Amino acid sequence: MVNENLVKDVVKEPYKYGFVTDIETEKIEKGLNEDIIKLISQKKEEPKFLLNFRLKAFKKWQKMKEPDWAALGYKKIDYQDIIYYSAPKQKEKISSLDEVDPKLLETFDKLGIPLTEQKKLTNVAVDAVFDSVSIATTFREELAEHGVIFCSISEAVKNHPDLIEKYLGTVVPSSDNYFAALNSAVFSDGSFVYIPKGVTCPMDLSSYFRINSGDSGQFERTLIIAEESSSVSYLEGCTAPMFDTNTLHAAVVELIALDDASIKYSTVQNWYAGDEEGIGGIFNFVTKRGKCLGKRSKISWSQVETGSAITWKYPSCLLLGEESIGEFYSVALTNNLQQADTGTKMIHIGPKTKSTIVSKGISAGNSKNSYRGLVKMGTKAKGSRNYSQCDSMLIGDQASANTFPYIKSQQPNSEIEHEASTCRISEDQLFYLQSRGIEFEEAVSMMVSGFCRDVFNQLPMEFAAEADKLLALKLEGSVG
Amino acid sequence: MEIIEKIKTNKSVDNFTEIQKICLHKLQSSPLPNPKSELWRLSNKSKLSTFLEYSVNEKDSKFDIPYPKNSQSTIRLIIGENCQIKLIEKNYSIEKLSEDELQKYIKEQISFFKQNENWSDLLNLSLSCKNNILGLKINGSKIPPIEIFSHASSNSLNAKTLVIFLEKNCDVELLQVNLGKENSSLSQSTFFCLKENSSVNHGVVSYGENRSNLLNSLNVIQQKNSAYNLGSLHFKFNYARFEISIKQSAGNAKTNIKGMQITKKDEQISTYTKIEFNGPNGFLDQINKSLADDKSHAIFEGSIIVPKIAQRTDASQLSRNLLLSNLAQIDTKPQLEIIADDVKCKHGATISQLNEEELFYMRTRGITLTEASKLQLSSYFQEIISFIPISKDKWDLLDKLLNEN
Repeated sequence: MVNENLVKDVVKEPYKYGFVTDIETEKIEKGLNEDIIKLISQKKEEPKFLLNFRLKAFKKWQKMKEPDWAALGYKKIDYQDIIYYSAPKQKEKISSLDEVDPKLLETFDKLGIPLTEQKKLTNVAVDAVFDSVSIATTFREELAEHGVIFCSISEAVKNHPDLIEKYLGTVVPSSDNYFAALNSAVFSDGSFVYIPKGVTCPMDLSSYFRINSGDSGQFERTLIIAEESSSVSYLEGCTAPMFDTNTLHAAVVELIALDDASIKYSTVQNWYAGDEEGIGGIFNFVTKRGKCLGKRSKISWSQVETGSAITWKYPSCLLLGEESIGEFYSVALTNNLQQADTGTKMIHIGPKTKSTIVSKGISAGNSKNSYRGLVKMGTKAKGSRNYSQCDSMLIGDQASANTFPYIKSQQPNSEIEHEASTCRISEDQLFYLQSRGIEFEEAVSMMVSGFCRDVFNQLPMEFAAEADKLLALKLEGSVG
Repeated sequence: MEIIEKIKTNKSVDNFTEIQKICLHKLQSSPLPNPKSELWRLSNKSKLSTFLEYSVNEKDSKFDIPYPKNSQSTIRLIIGENCQIKLIEKNYSIEKLSEDELQKYIKEQISFFKQNENWSDLLNLSLSCKNNILGLKINGSKIPPIEIFSHASSNSLNAKTLVIFLEKNCDVELLQVNLGKENSSLSQSTFFCLKENSSVNHGVVSYGENRSNLLNSLNVIQQKNSAYNLGSLHFKFNYARFEISIKQSAGNAKTNIKGMQITKKDEQISTYTKIEFNGPNGFLDQINKSLADDKSHAIFEGSIIVPKIAQRTDASQLSRNLLLSNLAQIDTKPQLEIIADDVKCKHGATISQLNEEELFYMRTRGITLTEASKLQLSSYFQEIISFIPISKDKWDLLDKLLNEN
C-alpha cells in the first residue's frame, strides 16, 4: 500500500521565486475610470487611435458582467482596489543594459533569466517585463539584421504604429470577454514580434513576466505577426512574489500567421499559487488566441501550468486558411487549493484544416483541475480533422478532475475524435520501480513525467528540462 | 403559451391533486427553463414553445398499437386506460401502487428537483391528472414481458407518468413505447426504483408522426447489486428531449445504456444523461448514437459524476455520431466530474459520415451505393436495436428505420 503521506510530502516544495525586489516604483492611484486610462495612455505617450481603442474597450467592459460559468469559487474582485500602472523608477531613456537598475538585473538573475551580456550565450532573445513595463530586450541588433522586430509593445506603438493599428484587437476583439475588455482598456506593456516574409527567426524569442508589487495587477498584451513563409518559436515564463492578497493577471495574447507561416508559442506558468490554506496567489485570467489566416499556416500552443491560485485560460486557434493547422499541448498541475480551468478552442472555418489537442491534467491535494475545450467544424470546413486526447491523473482522494469537451459539427465531410481517461499513480508500477532500487519520490516523478511525455516532447529543449524539474518540485510531498 | 399563462396565474386549482399543486407552485416563480443554462442552451426555443402551444387533454382518443401482441402471456398496459391491474401468480406479482405509496414516492422525488434540471418532470407532474399516472409494484421472477404504451392525441398536449418499483430479487423485461400523433405534444415522465438485487431490461421506443413533440424524462434509482439495462430509440419528432437521470444510491450496481436518436428534415432531438455514483464499485457502460440528416439537429450531453465516496467506479461513455448532410448539425458533450482517485473513467466522442472506404469496397463487389449505405446504416443501428427488449424479433424496428432513411 502506498503511503498517502509520503506522496503528500512530495508536492510541498516551497515556492522559490517568492522574494520581493525592494525597488523604488512609480505607481498611479488605485481605481479604474476614464481618467486613469487617459493617464496610462499619456504616460506611455500613445497615439490617439490607441487611446480611443482603450476608451472604447472600457465602455464595453463597464457594460459587461464578470463571467461565472466556470464555477470557480473565488472572492469577488474589487476592480477599484487595483493599481493599474506600476513601474520601477529609472532613467528616462536607456541606451544599453548597463543603464538598467542593477537591482532589476539582479532580480532577473535570481530568476535565472539571462539579461546581462555574459549570459547571452544561451542564444535566446529575452524581453523582460517587470510589473507594468518592459525592462530590457536582448539580442535586438542581431534580430534586426534579419528584419525581425522584437520589442516591448509600448516601443512598437511608437516605432511601428501602422502595424499595431492594423493588427491590434483583430484576433481578440476588445469586446470578446470581460477580462479581454479590461486588458484592452488598461494594458500596460507586453511583447511585440514581427517576422517578415520568408524569415525563419534565427533564435528563440522569450518574454519573462514578473509581478513585483502586491497591489497592482498585471495586464500585458502580446502581439505576434508571422508574415508569409516565416516561422518563430516564442517562449513565455512568469513568476511573482508571495503575498497574502490575490493579484489579478489578465493578459491578452494575439497571434497571426499568414500563408505558410508557423508560430510556436510555449508557456511555463509558475505564478505564485497561494499557500496551503489557499491564501494569496495570482488570479490568472488570460485570453490567448491565434488566427491561422493564411493557407497552410500553423499555430502551436504548448503550455505547462503549475502556478496561480486560479487559472482560467483557453489558448485557441481560428483555422481560417485552407489546410491550416492548430495544435494544443498542455500539462496542468494543481495542488493544495489551486483551481485550473483550462483547455482550448479549435474553430475550423477553412477547408482541410487540422487540429490536435493533447491535454494532461494532474490534480493533487484539494485542488480542482478541469479541461474545458471546444472543437467546432463550420459549414465550410470540408475535409477537416480533429483529434483530442485529455487524460487526468488524480493524486489523493480530495482532488477533483473534470472534463468538459464541447463538440459541434456542421460539416459531414469532416471528422472529430475525442477521448478522455482518468487514472491514478498505479501502486504496481510504483512497487516495481521501488523494487529496482529507485527512491519513492523519484519513482513518482518518473511516472508523472512519463504521463506528460507527449506534451514535454513538444516543448523547446530548455523548457522541457525546466518543466520536468518544475513538476517534480511541485509534486514533492504530495504523492503517497 | 396557454399552459405557461395558466401556471403563472395558477388557475383552476380546485380539482388538482396535491402533487399537481406542489409542482405548479414550484414552477410559478419561473415557469420556463433558463435558456442560458447548459441543459437548455442548445434547445430550440421556438420548438419548445410549439410543444407548449397545445392545450392539455386529459383523455386521449383511441390509437392503433403499432404491432400485434406476440404471445398471450405478454402484459400490455396503456397509461390513461386500463389502469386497474392485479396479477398474483406463483412466481411473481404485479400490483398497482397504493395512492399513499405513490404520493409519498413522488413527493420525495420532487424535494430533490432543481428548476432547470427537472423542469420537464415538474411540468409533467403539474399537468398529469390522477388517471394518467400509473404506479406499479413488481415482484418475483420469470415475469412475462411487460409493454407499456403512452400516447398523445392530435392537437393536444398529453401528460403521462409512470412509477415502477422493482422489489428485491425481481427480474423483468419491460418495453415502453411513446407514440406521438400529428401535431401533438407528449410529456412522459418515468420513475424507476430498483431495489437490491433486482434487474431490468428496459426498452424505450419513441416515435412520432408529422410535427409531434416529446419531452421524455426518465429517473432511475438503483440500490445495491441492481442491474439496469436501457436500450432507447427516438425518431421522427419535430422536437424531442430525452432526459435520463440515474443514481446508484449506494454504488455496487451495474448500468448499461445504449441509446440512439435519428433526426431528419428540420427536427431536433436531444439526449441528456446524468449518472451519479453515490457509493463504491459502480459500473457504467454507455453508448449514445446520433444520426442527423437534412437540416436537422442532434444533441447529446452526458455527465458522469464520481464523488469521493465512489471509489473503484468503472465508467465509460461513448458518443458516436453520423452527420449526413451539409445543413444538419450535431452537438455532443460527454463530461466527467471526478473526485475519487481509485477509479477507471473514460469517455470518447466521434463525429463523421459513412465510411467511404467501406462503401467503395462494397461497390467494387457490385452493391449499389444506396444498398451499401443501407448496409452500413443497418450495422450502425443494429447494435442499439438488439439491446431493446421484446421488440427484437417481433417488431421489426430495423426495417422501419431503414425504410425511412
